[in-house]
Amino acid sequence: MAAHDVGQALTFRGKCWKFGDNVPTDEMGEFFAQEVGNVLAGLNPRFPVEVKPGDIVVGGHSFGQSSGRALAAKVLRATGISCIVVESAARTFWRNCIEIGLPILECPGVSKLVEDGDEIVVDIEQGVVLNPATGAVARTEPPDDFLRDMLRAGGLIPFVRARPELWGA
Amino acid sequence: MGGANLIEKVLARASGRAKVTPGEIVVADVDSAMVHDLSCCTSGRIFEADVGGTVKNADRIAVIFDHIFSPPTEDKAQVLEFNRAFCRKYGLSLYDSGSGNLHNVAMRRGHARPGSIVVGSDSHSTVHGVIGAMAVSLGNYSFAATVMPYGKAWFRVPELVSVELVGQPPRGTTARDVALWLTAQIGEGNAKYAAIRFEGEYIDSLSFWERWLFTLLGVDVGAKCMYIEPDDETARVAAQLGLDDSQLEHGDRDAVPSARWRWDVSEVPPVVACPATVGNVRPVSEVAGTPVQFCELGGHGGGRTEDVELAASVFAGHQRADGVLFNIVPSSRDVFAECLEKGLVEPLHAGGATWFPASGGSNQAINMGAMTKDEAMISTQSRNFPGRNGNREARMYLASPLTVAATAMRGVITDPREFL
Repeated sequence: MAAHDVGQALTFRGKCWKFGDNVPTDEMGEFFAQEVGNVLAGLNPRFPVEVKPGDIVVGGHSFGQSSGRALAAKVLRATGISCIVVESAARTFWRNCIEIGLPILECPGVSKLVEDGDEIVVDIEQGVVLNPATGAVARTEPPDDFLRDMLRAGGLIPFVRARPELWGA
Repeated sequence: MGGANLIEKVLARASGRAKVTPGEIVVADVDSAMVHDLSCCTSGRIFEADVGGTVKNADRIAVIFDHIFSPPTEDKAQVLEFNRAFCRKYGLSLYDSGSGNLHNVAMRRGHARPGSIVVGSDSHSTVHGVIGAMAVSLGNYSFAATVMPYGKAWFRVPELVSVELVGQPPRGTTARDVALWLTAQIGEGNAKYAAIRFEGEYIDSLSFWERWLFTLLGVDVGAKCMYIEPDDETARVAAQLGLDDSQLEHGDRDAVPSARWRWDVSEVPPVVACPATVGNVRPVSEVAGTPVQFCELGGHGGGRTEDVELAASVFAGHQRADGVLFNIVPSSRDVFAECLEKGLVEPLHAGGATWFPASGGSNQAINMGAMTKDEAMISTQSRNFPGRNGNREARMYLASPLTVAATAMRGVITDPREFL
């Protein structure tokens, strides 16, 4: 798999935790005092307690709206989840996820594809989400090369270090 | 294909390209940046730990302490101590506690200019598009990894959506009511990644500081940025603020938006954004009678001289009701000075209102505005999601300064039209 020779692979398989529409960053870790132990607890108290490394968060529309600080994405990443798939993401949340190297895919139809607790397969580079149990597939446009490279590098900081010429250095 | 819109022209200039196309990603020079007390600390720590070196164009980065007007705890004092040292070490422009809220101070102190690229750590940084800039909010990692060391950031070129507003609203409906109502009409998340251009006879008729509410409140419809084509009103304010307009841009007349939306505002009533999202907007008549314990003029969009004038127009000569606090938070020291000059401070004080230091007020309840599960507030703040102000069952209503002031007189949400 030549595409995966550079940096981290962007295909994931895991159990999904499903959330609804308009989940604000306030529910994740907007405040300094809020720790990983509380993330999204207001919407599903089991999530922070039972989430395991490699699990996948599935969300509805405007996932991550409200304040745009990266803390929310970082708290979510700290749970060990491998990636996020949503109907649509709030712009700053989407940007923050990519910049910290937490893969996020906007894939319309994903909410109908899986139920909470289902195992799913997500291929970020191809823009494909699969529910292996049902065989149902949802497709979306693959990410731009610039964003794919940033994710493979593991986020904006390693990406800038690897490609200083892009920034006039 | 048509010509280029204002955002495309600004991005082309700043990325050294002849033209840019929606969807493509460009790396562009940032003309000015602004961060508040909480995000300066976060971005600064990432910069020092994982990036390092010097800060490019440091004087173009404004650091404005607005969540914390006086540290309530030692950890908040440490946040400010870190920020002050960071500003001194790297040469950033510091506006310490008591200066006002991020966006009002930044605009009044010349950190946003026509035709420039403005980036802010705060999600409401889009507001600066009111001056004809491309104003975008970025996360801490963009600040730490590219804005601070290189004076640059990456941007996906947005599609243009034209939002045209026609007609004039009835008496008692302020620009804030129309802006809140419009958020619900467009729908949260329905203008994702777009650049929204507000236009039409209603927008044309508004003052600069009224237009401000549109480029502010539209952020929760998902827009990347929002702007208003510079006109005589923009030029008047730019001159008043002494802004450099050498980068002034206008979109080409034949630039084609990807969508055109049009609304008539002539029957919009005073409205209230009800818990628990900014899109849950209802006519004030539907929620009148709801008890509240706090009324606040403040926030990124509120606490301006215009807000205080409107509030005073119904409140002056009256007293606040028992059981409700009426808190006024000027958006900058300049605003407080203007309120003193206009004689607005004494009548509100005499009526039982409390003047707070210039800041972001109860935004996230750092210094003020925490509530129990049984309490409610009506304010000119910009957000009402659960948990931002103490207990997550506490309710936050967003409304115009007329409605906030009328509510302070009764202790229950009140339609301001009965006082006009």
